[in-house]
Amino acid sequence: MLELTGIIQWVGGIVTSISNSLGLPQIIIDIILILLIAVAIFAFLMLMALYLIWMERKVSGHIQDRLGPMMTGWHGWAQTIADALKLLQKEDIIVANADRKVHYWAPIVVFTACFAVYAVIPFGKGMLAADVNIGILYILSITTFTTLSLLMAGWASNNKYALLGGMRSASQIISYEVPLTLSILGVVMMAGTLSMGKFVELQGPYIWKWYVWPQFIGFCIYLIASTAELNRTPFDLPEAEQELVAGFNIEYSGMKFAMFFLAEFLNMFTVGAVTTTLFLGGWNPPLPALAFIPSWVWFLGKSLFIVFVIMWFKWTYPRLRVDHLLSFAWKVLLPISFINIILTAIGITIF
Amino acid sequence: MGYFKEFFSGIYNLLLGLKTTAKYLPERAVTLQYPKEKWPMPERSRGIVVLLSDPDTGELNCTACLLCQKACPVAAITITQAKNETTNKRYPKTFEVNNTICCFCGLCEEACNFDAIKLTGLYEFATFDKESLIFQKEKLQELGRNVKYEKKRKSVAKKPAAKSETTETKPQSAAPSDPPKGEEA
Amino acid sequence: MTDVTKNIQLSEEEFLLNMGPQHPSTHGVLRLVLKLRGEFIEDLTPHVGYLHRSIEKIAENRTYAQFMPFTDRIDYCASMPCNLAWALAVEKLAGIEVPPRAQYLRVLMTELNRIASHLIYLGVMSLDLGAFTPFLYTFREREWILDLFEMTCGQRLTYNYMRIGGVSRDLPPEFYQSCKNFTKVFLKKVDEYEALFTYNPIFLTRTKDIGILPIAVGLEYGASGPTIRGSGHNWDLRKVEPYSSYEKFDFNVPLGTKGDVWDRYMVRVQEMRESCKIINQALDGLPEGEIKAKVPGVFKPPAGEVISRIEAPRGEMGYYLVSDGSTKPYRVKIRTASYGNLQVLRYLSRGWKIADLVAIFGSLDVVLPEVDR
Repeated sequence: MLELTGIIQWVGGIVTSISNSLGLPQIIIDIILILLIAVAIFAFLMLMALYLIWMERKVSGHIQDRLGPMMTGWHGWAQTIADALKLLQKEDIIVANADRKVHYWAPIVVFTACFAVYAVIPFGKGMLAADVNIGILYILSITTFTTLSLLMAGWASNNKYALLGGMRSASQIISYEVPLTLSILGVVMMAGTLSMGKFVELQGPYIWKWYVWPQFIGFCIYLIASTAELNRTPFDLPEAEQELVAGFNIEYSGMKFAMFFLAEFLNMFTVGAVTTTLFLGGWNPPLPALAFIPSWVWFLGKSLFIVFVIMWFKWTYPRLRVDHLLSFAWKVLLPISFINIILTAIGITIF
Repeated sequence: MGYFKEFFSGIYNLLLGLKTTAKYLPERAVTLQYPKEKWPMPERSRGIVVLLSDPDTGELNCTACLLCQKACPVAAITITQAKNETTNKRYPKTFEVNNTICCFCGLCEEACNFDAIKLTGLYEFATFDKESLIFQKEKLQELGRNVKYEKKRKSVAKKPAAKSETTETKPQSAAPSDPPKGEEA
Repeated sequence: MTDVTKNIQLSEEEFLLNMGPQHPSTHGVLRLVLKLRGEFIEDLTPHVGYLHRSIEKIAENRTYAQFMPFTDRIDYCASMPCNLAWALAVEKLAGIEVPPRAQYLRVLMTELNRIASHLIYLGVMSLDLGAFTPFLYTFREREWILDLFEMTCGQRLTYNYMRIGGVSRDLPPEFYQSCKNFTKVFLKKVDEYEALFTYNPIFLTRTKDIGILPIAVGLEYGASGPTIRGSGHNWDLRKVEPYSSYEKFDFNVPLGTKGDVWDRYMVRVQEMRESCKIINQALDGLPEGEIKAKVPGVFKPPAGEVISRIEAPRGEMGYYLVSDGSTKPYRVKIRTASYGNLQVLRYLSRGWKIADLVAIFGSLDVVLPEVDR
């Protein structure tokens, strides 16, 4: 069996027995275990972000009839590692008259926020760091930190382009938060729970039982609204290259810039993971007969598929304008998500 | 009703866009991995200027008539003439092409009546210092050693060699059009 | 932002934004000083001249034939029309009759270059609107045209193909088939670009009713080409004042109705189709004969002055040429379409947002070297 549950329990057992033999109190053992899990998730996410950047370049390359990176290793697999090493060596520049503290903290806030989300995401069978009973609420509130950090970066950079980018991001994310939450509400009503682990359990290994079918409208709205939350094309106004050069991160260099960049890709994976958990049955296989493939492979596969769809959007569509973006959120997405909720309520009452 | 029509036609057109990009996803790339693969250069490519030699004798075709120097719009060619005392033929003592200002227009090749100068498909001459882009006679001859060329006016020019020379030297003295140096494109 | 912004009065809520000379969407090096109120553009001042190479002065120091390579550099996206206009000016001055085959070759090359130039427009416009992929699609097809050019004259960008009295080289034997294939495949590719753009709701909201140019205003500012045809003004020198045997070709002049960004886009897309038609006609009806009229080695046109003008991809392009009877021109004045089209930008973009400014500027299809010369 390729399930990682055994390995996790085994490592946990070893740590516990060693600590017990040393006579450490229970609280210390818990802290050590939590730290171990955090480090494991962190390492996984770092690898994931590097891989996603490579994937984006490959997807864009092949869509555009070219190849993307090819020189570093097999089909350029080591390209992002090389880029990261280059960024690490770069000088960290803080412009004159910048708000130094805010400028320093902005990338850290965004990075911490997108890392903290993964505490409640079930990666596979028995691979859930913390099964909080309000998991989805936690995710919604933590991801909002992105707005804060973009606004911080835009304000602190002492640059007009960055400021415009930060303002755009604030108005955009706040408007799209509403349809995003409402689209999830449908699933929550059907499942009657807020816990991420429960969502997966309720959907089970039967493809026809997944929430994507009864909640198809909600699924579409969630995908659109979260693309807007991610600041990706067609909603990439805060960093609109042709208008604002680079938007909020125009004055960032070196590792701080890399943190914004990595956070963007991690957030993309977050959207993939949350969509998988809520709508696509989580780590469950589509049929019980396919359970021989480990659960975390299913989870990764589904999440990466969603990520691919978001990338596909990016490399197809032009960018919206700021007022169209907002009117789209309030005049189209919001009414549809209300209709979706009403339909869900009627459905629940009838069946 | 119009609202819904617009809504669905919008969705249809968005999906049409996705279909178009998806079509190219599995297709073969049209690009080449440059340093490893290279496009074949067409025969008429205008790249680096070379001096052509006679394939039989191995000597330069150039007779130092200075027509190319006159024709060059950016004054990239500098020639000093000399005369071979035994055969009484003129030849270029020095022939310098400044590739830092050459604009590869091909006017020198057109001006030449002796198949002596040609623009080739060679293009990989990036260096770290400017000096090495000023090519002297020996280098130009070496580069042009294996370049094939059509002998466009050779058969005509061979028999009345003296005649063609006189006709070409005439305008040279009549119109001393000297493009000023230092001005470039 | 010191000297040029000194006299600009700002109220409390306004601020200045210096867009360019280094900016992703200024198509070269244009500097725009924007007076903004939030995201809205109150006023805008373009500053040109960063690419000035004094081509007009250079012309006075070169012989008529030597100036031909410099005309390539006026508008690097469409060098063939620049070549053609210069050749026409000198031929008009000296009264040279161009052989019919050369005239057809000129039309063929100019129309191919029109497609190449409009492909750049389409790609860059899509890039300005934030879509990256169509940019590479259009450049893929442009490569094919450049291959055709390279096959014929040896260069991909600075062709130097036209000569006074004709063209420099005849077509290579494989040109006919390759060009025929190109027109066939290209029409399908245009449909593909349209699938990505024309009725895409995002594209529509970004372009419809934005930057409307009334005909009268456009004419006052000297706008020409697809910019003014997008407003519905039927003015195409190929029809109005045919040169180089354009009167023998059958093609339509696409016109817009409203004069917004979308209309200008649509006019260019249609023009690409029309150009394909012209190319096919030119290939099929290519007359036999000389490709270059006899021009003396030392070319001395009579003293006098002429104006030549043609319909370049961006609009009217022309040379005003004064000769004093020597081997070099006495004075050359170049009229380029982009300069006139750029003037309209201030009128069009006041009151719109920064994002619209980018779209409007993209739709004008300005090439900065052509503005600065």
